[in-house]
Amino acid sequence: MRFKVIAAAAISVATLMSVAACGGSNTASDGKVELEFWHNATTGDGKAYWENLAAAFEKKHQNVTIKIQAIQNEDYQGKLQTALQDPNSAPDVYMSLGGQKTKDMIEAGQTIDITSDISADAKKNMASTLGAATFDDKVYGMPVSMEPGGIWYSEDLFKKAGITEPPKTMEELNQAVTKLKAANITPVALGGKDAWPAAHWYYWLSFRECSAKDFSEASSGKGLKADCWNKAADQLEAFNKTNPFNNGYLTTSAQQGAGSSAGLLANHKAAMELMGAWEPGVLKDLSPDGKAMSDLGYFPFPSVDGGQGDPNALMGSVTYYSVSPSAPKKEAMEFLNYMAETKNQEGYAKAWNTFPANDAARGVVTDPALKTVLEYVKKSPDMQLWLDTQLGSNAGTALNTSVVNMLAGKGAAKDIVTAANDAIAKG
Amino acid sequence: MNASKETGARMKKKSKTVVKDKWRKGLEISVLSVPALIMFLGFVVFPIVMAAYYGFFKWKGFGSPTTNGTFIGIQNYITIFSDAEFRSAVLHNFIIVIGSLVLQAPIAILFALLLNQKMKGRAIIRTLIFVPYVVSEVIVGTGWSLMLQSEGAINAVLKRIGLQGADWISDPKIAMWTLLILITWKYIGFAVILMLAGMQSIPEELYEAARVDGAGFWQLQKSITLPLLGPTLRIWAFLSIIGSLQLFDLVYIIWGQYISSTAGTSTMATYMVREGRVSSNYGYGSAVAVVIFVISLVVALTYQKFILNRDLDGALTEKPSKSKNKSVSAVAEEV
Repeated sequence: MRFKVIAAAAISVATLMSVAACGGSNTASDGKVELEFWHNATTGDGKAYWENLAAAFEKKHQNVTIKIQAIQNEDYQGKLQTALQDPNSAPDVYMSLGGQKTKDMIEAGQTIDITSDISADAKKNMASTLGAATFDDKVYGMPVSMEPGGIWYSEDLFKKAGITEPPKTMEELNQAVTKLKAANITPVALGGKDAWPAAHWYYWLSFRECSAKDFSEASSGKGLKADCWNKAADQLEAFNKTNPFNNGYLTTSAQQGAGSSAGLLANHKAAMELMGAWEPGVLKDLSPDGKAMSDLGYFPFPSVDGGQGDPNALMGSVTYYSVSPSAPKKEAMEFLNYMAETKNQEGYAKAWNTFPANDAARGVVTDPALKTVLEYVKKSPDMQLWLDTQLGSNAGTALNTSVVNMLAGKGAAKDIVTAANDAIAKG
Repeated sequence: MNASKETGARMKKKSKTVVKDKWRKGLEISVLSVPALIMFLGFVVFPIVMAAYYGFFKWKGFGSPTTNGTFIGIQNYITIFSDAEFRSAVLHNFIIVIGSLVLQAPIAILFALLLNQKMKGRAIIRTLIFVPYVVSEVIVGTGWSLMLQSEGAINAVLKRIGLQGADWISDPKIAMWTLLILITWKYIGFAVILMLAGMQSIPEELYEAARVDGAGFWQLQKSITLPLLGPTLRIWAFLSIIGSLQLFDLVYIIWGQYISSTAGTSTMATYMVREGRVSSNYGYGSAVAVVIFVISLVVALTYQKFILNRDLDGALTEKPSKSKNKSVSAVAEEV
């Protein structure tokens, strides 16, 4: 009995304290400024990188304290969206969501135009990536990394199956799949449980199938009208009929553990996977010895016969950080410009094993597969944003779901386009 | 004269204490109930009202619905009811409601009968049956989803003993059964505990009398245990129905954000999260929440009116209330 009373008292005190801790944040009264900074690196090198960067910045700017909140990636969007509803709870500097969602934030006045506050160095060095954070000629974020997508493969397994050249066309990819199967190797790993890895196959096929004009028409909110969207769905259906994916891909997640699609590739249980440039880092964490995969190769998504899209063009994402209107702008911008400095961008690239957004910092990329990607990045015109990010989560979710449905045999190819257009009615 | 004065004073004093008592009682009631009322209004009524309000907008959750969204009246509700995915989610919910009742009730009663007998190791078996109920849904979901994968442990074991495995999670023909069996495994402990408590509140004399009259074991259960277990069964069924209508976590953990409708295990709640939060259609999601609320409310009220009613009536008077109190305290002791 007494124990219960004590426990109850303890719980209520704890509740009160946590409620009290929710109170508003930040700024100035005696020249001291607190910057609340939100990012999504909850583990390992990435988390340490931000902690060190914040500490170094605080040393240079004695009046600024940076309060870091690291939020797990899947929770990040919901938490940010809620926090931004109230200036008191909004973080000052935060990882933006990109694409349509950034547009929505601009419209709601939750992110500010930083065009004139970007340092000259950053403007020069970020030339290739600032475009992703630019809307109506105004810049709304400072890029930190870029993640172009493509197919990551095991060179050893390709060799074993007798594939000498990475496939350049869908036809060659089909031949590679046949060869791998003949050698008793699972050709393609697919994390169908998370849906977006499956949908990426559709995004890439439509990116090769559709012209740039069709893409910009779709992203202006007019829906998927052109015929090429259906053609891409047919292509995917045909590819799926060759059974290229790992057994049980519908219940395979993308990145969790050795049984995930990335885990299959890292452990040489499957020969390739379609992913973004975060793949080498993910594979490293999932490999049996915790080391980078030594035989990892990369080739861009193959071209399709008669496609309208540029076969050299790449699709991917740019991660950038934005400032909320309630933030102390001067200090927030100093922090963003500090992030963009070449030395710090080099640190970023090393911590994440990925591409820095800063062109001058690319020298630190040593991973051979990433170096291959760099070659293709140079050849590619402006990088296209992932289709689901571009269209917003509304149409994006519908596409993700309907692609999985089609692969599972629960819907026809043409349902993909219908589902996306229906979803636009709900938003 | 004197005497009457005295009684008058006494009466005054008495009425004063009555008033004081009443006042004190009122204060006590309000002090004790206000926190609960505030919680109820703030965390139940207010969100429902807000959801109903948001449900009239096409709104992505950035800014406020009036400036950054569009007022579209009942268009969201029209879309919900014309969406085949929502209808199939509702259907899945009702399959789960009925499946849980049909699967769990007999098993729970049998277990309770068994555990109600004096035998060795009873405490251990009771604990073991109750363990899945205590373990968090996330842990249960993650564990089972790993074991049930096409290349998972279950299929590996089946292969060893020469049996053909199946796609337990992703095959639409099997997935619902997998879910029902997992739910049964997870929640049977709770049902068993309730049934046990109900059985222990049945007076031993009834059994003794029946035994004297020559009744056998099964006849005892059929004519005494089952009828007297009625109130417990009905309240358990009510809790089970509500739980099944709100089912979310197990499905969300095992089937993830997207593929539950592909596998045929989506529920109204997973539909709401996918179409509302994941797709950032906060207006539409709120409208779905209102629909779920109304469906659950109608089911709950109907059940109360036609089935639970007889227990509730008695609860305010005498006998059943006693047995109920007893059963509750028995549960507390048991736990």
